[in-house]
Amino acid sequence: MSYIEEDEESGPPLYCERPEWADVTPIPQYEGVSSPIAPIFYTPDYKDATDYFRGIVKTGETSERVLELTEDIIRMNPAHYSAWQYRYRTLLALNAPLDAELRLMDDFAVNNLKTYQVWHHRRLLITHLTVSTPGAKPTADPLDTAQAELEFIVHVLDVDTKNYHTWSYRQWLLAHFDDSALWLGELPYVDELLQADVRNNSAWHHRYFVVFGRGSKAQATPAEEAEVLQREIRYVKGKISFAPNNISAWNYLRGILEYSKTPFSSQAVFAESYTVRRAPWDDEDVVDLDNPKPSTDADLPSVSAMDFLAEAYAREGGDSITKAVDLWKALANQHDTMRKKYWEFRIKESLETKSG
Amino acid sequence: MSETSPVLPLNRGGHVGHCKRFLAGLPAGAVEADASRVAIGFYCLGSLDLLGTLETKTRPEERAAWIRWMWEQQSVCGYGTGFKGSNYMTIDIRSPPSAQYAEYDTPNLIMTYTSILSLAILRDDLSRLDRKGLVQFVRSCQREDGSFSALPSGGETDLRCVYCAFAISSMLNDWTGIDLNRALAYIRRCEDYEGGYGQQPSDEALGGTTYCALASLYLAPSNASAQRLIDSAFRARTIRWLLHNQAVDGGFSGRTNKISDACYCFWCGASLAILGAGDLVDNAALVAFLARCQFSMGGLAKAPEKPADPYHTYMALAAAAVLPSPHVNETWTLSRLDVLWNTTEGTAAWLRKHLTEKA
Repeated sequence: MSYIEEDEESGPPLYCERPEWADVTPIPQYEGVSSPIAPIFYTPDYKDATDYFRGIVKTGETSERVLELTEDIIRMNPAHYSAWQYRYRTLLALNAPLDAELRLMDDFAVNNLKTYQVWHHRRLLITHLTVSTPGAKPTADPLDTAQAELEFIVHVLDVDTKNYHTWSYRQWLLAHFDDSALWLGELPYVDELLQADVRNNSAWHHRYFVVFGRGSKAQATPAEEAEVLQREIRYVKGKISFAPNNISAWNYLRGILEYSKTPFSSQAVFAESYTVRRAPWDDEDVVDLDNPKPSTDADLPSVSAMDFLAEAYAREGGDSITKAVDLWKALANQHDTMRKKYWEFRIKESLETKSG
Repeated sequence: MSETSPVLPLNRGGHVGHCKRFLAGLPAGAVEADASRVAIGFYCLGSLDLLGTLETKTRPEERAAWIRWMWEQQSVCGYGTGFKGSNYMTIDIRSPPSAQYAEYDTPNLIMTYTSILSLAILRDDLSRLDRKGLVQFVRSCQREDGSFSALPSGGETDLRCVYCAFAISSMLNDWTGIDLNRALAYIRRCEDYEGGYGQQPSDEALGGTTYCALASLYLAPSNASAQRLIDSAFRARTIRWLLHNQAVDGGFSGRTNKISDACYCFWCGASLAILGAGDLVDNAALVAFLARCQFSMGGLAKAPEKPADPYHTYMALAAAAVLPSPHVNETWTLSRLDVLWNTTEGTAAWLRKHLTEKA
């Protein structure tokens, strides 16, 4: 049929047809003594390229054409980790411009977001580009490089705002270079993402990382720490008021309270207004900036608010446990029946603790 | 949920056919599995093991051939002995080691774990396993920070590889390949504020790596008990987070506010089972979700209406095995699962007899 001929004409020639590769002995894959498990029916292109790759690795050649060959292979199979490893070795051996390699990898990353090797390769490149060796300056300015990378990741996250590898890479960059100038832009960026999608848990997680996960470098006085905590509590409560059933925000609130060892009961007043259906006179309430009320179109009661408030009561202990039990019963029987067994378990557990 | 909509029967014949097709070969489009064919084999053989049909639906000569191929993946390198994911970089295993690639055809820690399980599923007696070399290989994959990488020469490190090192060491009953204090400290550093564990320190809580962390902590030898004990407050947080990953459709998501996926039904469900909280799951809704993940041509998919693949087929069956529902028909009766090694109890018993107790 005609399309097969067209295909043959339009595709690039195989390595075995190219005179400039004639000096390399292609080595076929070892086929094994018996019928293999899950053999892959390779395309002629892939089989040809990997035959030549095995030939190259055997002789240990590191040259320009190896970059072409390995690029070809990882485009066909981005999970070919030997090709990635050998490519990196060749880049270093050739003293090749690594910034050009980064630009080549930009599109590749966007098209292969879920491939481990893509991101690992980038880490190696960035580390090598910015490392200082005794008596020599790094090839690239570390701060400029990291800044450019952070901007690049913004574009990648536009494609998939919750991509795990991409977020992990962003956090690695921030921790690796650990410069205040880099950290400074993170909260506005997170805020932008949460304004677009308040349920983006990766963005909430990043916020936690930026504010609380920075480690020893972010030295602050106790007063500054307290101020940051209050700022974050205000921020997350504001987000909850517009989407009271968003568990990501509630988990963030719980997380920062746990981190700072602040009792959940400190937020009981706030949570309580989300556990009841809205009363018509609520609109006349005085605006309390510390405890924003649910927005008028909120879907209440919020299961997450009931979960939070019950936890606060349970931790208070004593007579408050009865109030926790009432909330758990309502969750089990009416508002969150999928987790009925869990809420009943919480009731049983807390009553045992109380009597014990 | 089970009262209102009867759960579809498990299409056992279709799933057996799916696994046998993949064992026989993969289309060119699956070339990304080139370096990890051993894992595809494990998912298919593991599914047949869970269905209890390995002996009846495959021929003895097929199983013997698979065993021969698996042993060919065991290879010696400068870092010890392990299994490769396939012969994708292999020239000829009969040539002397010096003629082979030292750095570009090494064994892989994840593939080593799946190879040992696959050989046990095939009821090989494992006498050809180079135990000493294997321990040396595990040791060579541990990094300074306590984590493990899949390759001894480096590469990304994460909790998946930590789990494989713990599983292999527990199977061998030999922990000399692991610096336990550092490994346990690394696991702790992966704790996330939501209650789960990220893939690496300061990563977002994720179902798969939460399983890896918990299974490792429970596999650790008892003399590590001081650090092994999970803080009770964090344990309560973990249980809460895992249970909240079960969505209204009955399936589990791997992260907060993501959509359900059959593989996370296993990773989250098994994590809960490890923590002794498996009975808190709405297992009727869970099985109903898994039933809807069945693909018309056989196999199970990540979600309803998606195409099936061996990975999701195995994970979905393993989820149904670890959290069986009393409300479904007998087609859903599967082999019981050893939740820490992630294999059937029959295969786990075989491993203990031929590997663990021979230490």
